[in-house]
Amino acid sequence: MSTIKRTQIADGVFFNSVKDSRFKTMKLSANLYVPLSAETASENALLAGVLSRSCKAYPDFTALSRKLCALYGADLNVLAHKAGDNQVITLSASGLDDRYAMEGESIARELSLLLCGVIFEPNLSGRAFVAGEVEQERRQLLDVIDSEYNDKRIYANGRMTEIMCADEVYGVKRYGTAEAIKAATPESLYAAWERLLRTSYVEIMYIGDSAPDKAAEVFTDAFRSIGRAPVKQSTQIIRGVKEVKRETEEIEVSQSKLVMGFRAGTAVPEKEARAASLMCSILGGTATSKLFCNVREKQSLCYYCAARYDKYKGIVVIDSGVEGENVEKLEKGIMKEIEDMKNGVISDFEIESTKMAVINAYQGSNDTVGGIEAWYASQLLEDGFKTIEEAAALLNAITKEEIVAAAQRLQLDTVYVLKNK
Amino acid sequence: MNMTEIKSDRAGDSYYKIRHSSGLTVYVYPKKGYRSAYAIIGTNYGSVNNCFSLDDGEKITVPDGIAHYLEHKLFESAEGDAFTRYAETGASANAYTSFEKTCYLFSCTDRFEESLEILLDFVGDPYFTPETVAKEQGIIGQEIKMYDDSPDWRVMFNMLEKMYHNHPVKIDIAGTVESIAQITAEKLYDCYNTFYNLNNMALCVAGNVTAEQVLAICDKMLKPCEKHEIHSYFEEEPYEIVEPYVEQTFPVMMPMFNLGFKEKAEHLDEKKLAQTDILLSMLASPTSRLYRDLMDANLINSSFGYELFEGPGYRAVIFGGESRAPRQAAEMIKQYIAKVKAEQPDREDFEISKKAIYGDSISALNSVSSIANIVLSHHFSGHEPFTYLEAVAATTYEDICVRLSEMLDVTNCTLSVIKSAEAEV
Repeated sequence: MSTIKRTQIADGVFFNSVKDSRFKTMKLSANLYVPLSAETASENALLAGVLSRSCKAYPDFTALSRKLCALYGADLNVLAHKAGDNQVITLSASGLDDRYAMEGESIARELSLLLCGVIFEPNLSGRAFVAGEVEQERRQLLDVIDSEYNDKRIYANGRMTEIMCADEVYGVKRYGTAEAIKAATPESLYAAWERLLRTSYVEIMYIGDSAPDKAAEVFTDAFRSIGRAPVKQSTQIIRGVKEVKRETEEIEVSQSKLVMGFRAGTAVPEKEARAASLMCSILGGTATSKLFCNVREKQSLCYYCAARYDKYKGIVVIDSGVEGENVEKLEKGIMKEIEDMKNGVISDFEIESTKMAVINAYQGSNDTVGGIEAWYASQLLEDGFKTIEEAAALLNAITKEEIVAAAQRLQLDTVYVLKNK
Repeated sequence: MNMTEIKSDRAGDSYYKIRHSSGLTVYVYPKKGYRSAYAIIGTNYGSVNNCFSLDDGEKITVPDGIAHYLEHKLFESAEGDAFTRYAETGASANAYTSFEKTCYLFSCTDRFEESLEILLDFVGDPYFTPETVAKEQGIIGQEIKMYDDSPDWRVMFNMLEKMYHNHPVKIDIAGTVESIAQITAEKLYDCYNTFYNLNNMALCVAGNVTAEQVLAICDKMLKPCEKHEIHSYFEEEPYEIVEPYVEQTFPVMMPMFNLGFKEKAEHLDEKKLAQTDILLSMLASPTSRLYRDLMDANLINSSFGYELFEGPGYRAVIFGGESRAPRQAAEMIKQYIAKVKAEQPDREDFEISKKAIYGDSISALNSVSSIANIVLSHHFSGHEPFTYLEAVAATTYEDICVRLSEMLDVTNCTLSVIKSAEAEV
């Protein structure tokens, strides 16, 4: 597979690059990790939006968009997300490789400069961001929060996590709260920007054909003038459940949603996390998983019933859409499959075919720019990078006993039902 | 068998088109240095083909949603389901039904030949019984209800219902709980035997494969298929829309809208298609004056987008997204289009949008899944991807002006709005 080169360019700042000539595009991203907290999450998310809409060189949204369009429809994206108890602000630029430019332009170089520009040379007015830009971004971020209610699957999953992790840092949403977004000011965002550049742990990823030297140089220079004080990261893993939390909400919908949250009892970088991940795939990660075959195909209860393992936080979430009158039957059906796994009712075929499917996905990821980036980015909080071959070997070595042990660690924590009125 | 190589210096790629002796059209797009392969087989049959005849046979009308139902059921055979067979090769499989086609696909990094055999085998081997058909009612019923709760889906179909008088594109792809209750094994066979004829289908494989490898499996698995005359009936569709406005209340916090311009449905060649894509980018992408005005007036957010929506007998341009004031947003879009039509578009807008569409068309040839899907879609719409790329590069400002005069009739559009019970829009 493609190999990655990793260099530390400042205190807590790493530049990772993969040189690959197979693709027609390149991608450069900066991932800034900070501890998730109710006090700063909203400002960080709002700041990310403000940074991505203009910069000193292209001081308004239209100017920046037109520049990207002229670079053969290049993209500049921003994302605020969570990885365990961390908030990750990702700013990325991607575009056509230089070989395909009609007029011989260097797209990669221009995009590197542009990405550095939006991060380090934003559109400022003294020691504050430009008020009009902040207002636009604030309105849009509040829209994003409201729009999560539009999609009932997203909403139900969000509610389950909120209830399950109400007393934990992880219960803070990736955008924080509407109240805190409303309270932010152009000045407070400036302070948040300085804090982010100073305290975040930064992972820069580059995937492309042209040499990443220019980008590495620009980032190195930019971080040189910043008094770095990166904050250590950690995630709270809850390993026991005292009492199952249950909540039902009624809304006028045609389909009810059932979302169940479990404590998996392990998270990365613990080695048990690997068996937990495989266990979760056997349970509900493929079209031959236990939930798909039994709850969907045999009992015809639902269209989707999937299990996901959050390896950073150590929780498993199972979600499904179902007829209101069948919610209980569905919950029982799901618990039955989990009980089976705890009791060792897992066939060799289930184990081997799931391993093959997972390895197929591992290997396939090496054939896209986004896949390569995700492969390495997903290991940033682990103990060093593994190649696909190494990860596949570790997966193949997982025994049935380890899978059963992983299932036995599962403890139901929260059941959220969105019921049709 | 005749095999043609199709090359593009601009894309730096080439692929093969083969008329296989069985009647199937086969495309193979090898990608050097890739580990994975992606295969997709499709039939020129989707949700809109609900009234048809075969050769000189009688006209058959089938329940809404049957093409999608058939897609679900084709995975089953007397011996078990195809997912279990794929589980033995490690391939990841899926399928989908759209308005105009039904496709079955897989991706894999090992044991490609075996997986392709499974694909060609189960797609060629229907097995429908009253019991297996009945079992799917609950699953698809829940799929339909999931879409009933989706405001994105509803806002589009509400618009299509008020845009098309007769064309079946206004009917939900999956049908309704009531319409699928009328589906029987016999009706599924009627549809299968009509549309799943290899002469009406195409296979496209991209990635770590050679044409020889793919053809060897086709030779082994496919028998020559007699060509039949398939006729799909569509009632005459007037040029005019049905109604200019429709709204529905929904449990949402962000209201949303679709503004659809009904277009003439004649076939567009690659040149016209390229011109249309560049033109729409000029008018409504984030670089445009319109986008800026809508944003500054707080009428849209970054969910705003547009789409050229087309298929057999229908074409529309749809603008849409979330908005706290959909009527005002729609009004501003219409006024802007009318103004550009009266005053001619901006030349610089043209230059940068042309580059963006060119860049997007090349970038899309990056991953095996995207390549295979593009080649297959182009096959069914009568286009060829590299010809399209050349057409983008050759498009002139004058072409755009002519194209603009032919489309986006501001007196022939429908606005669909989804709002919460409390909100005034």
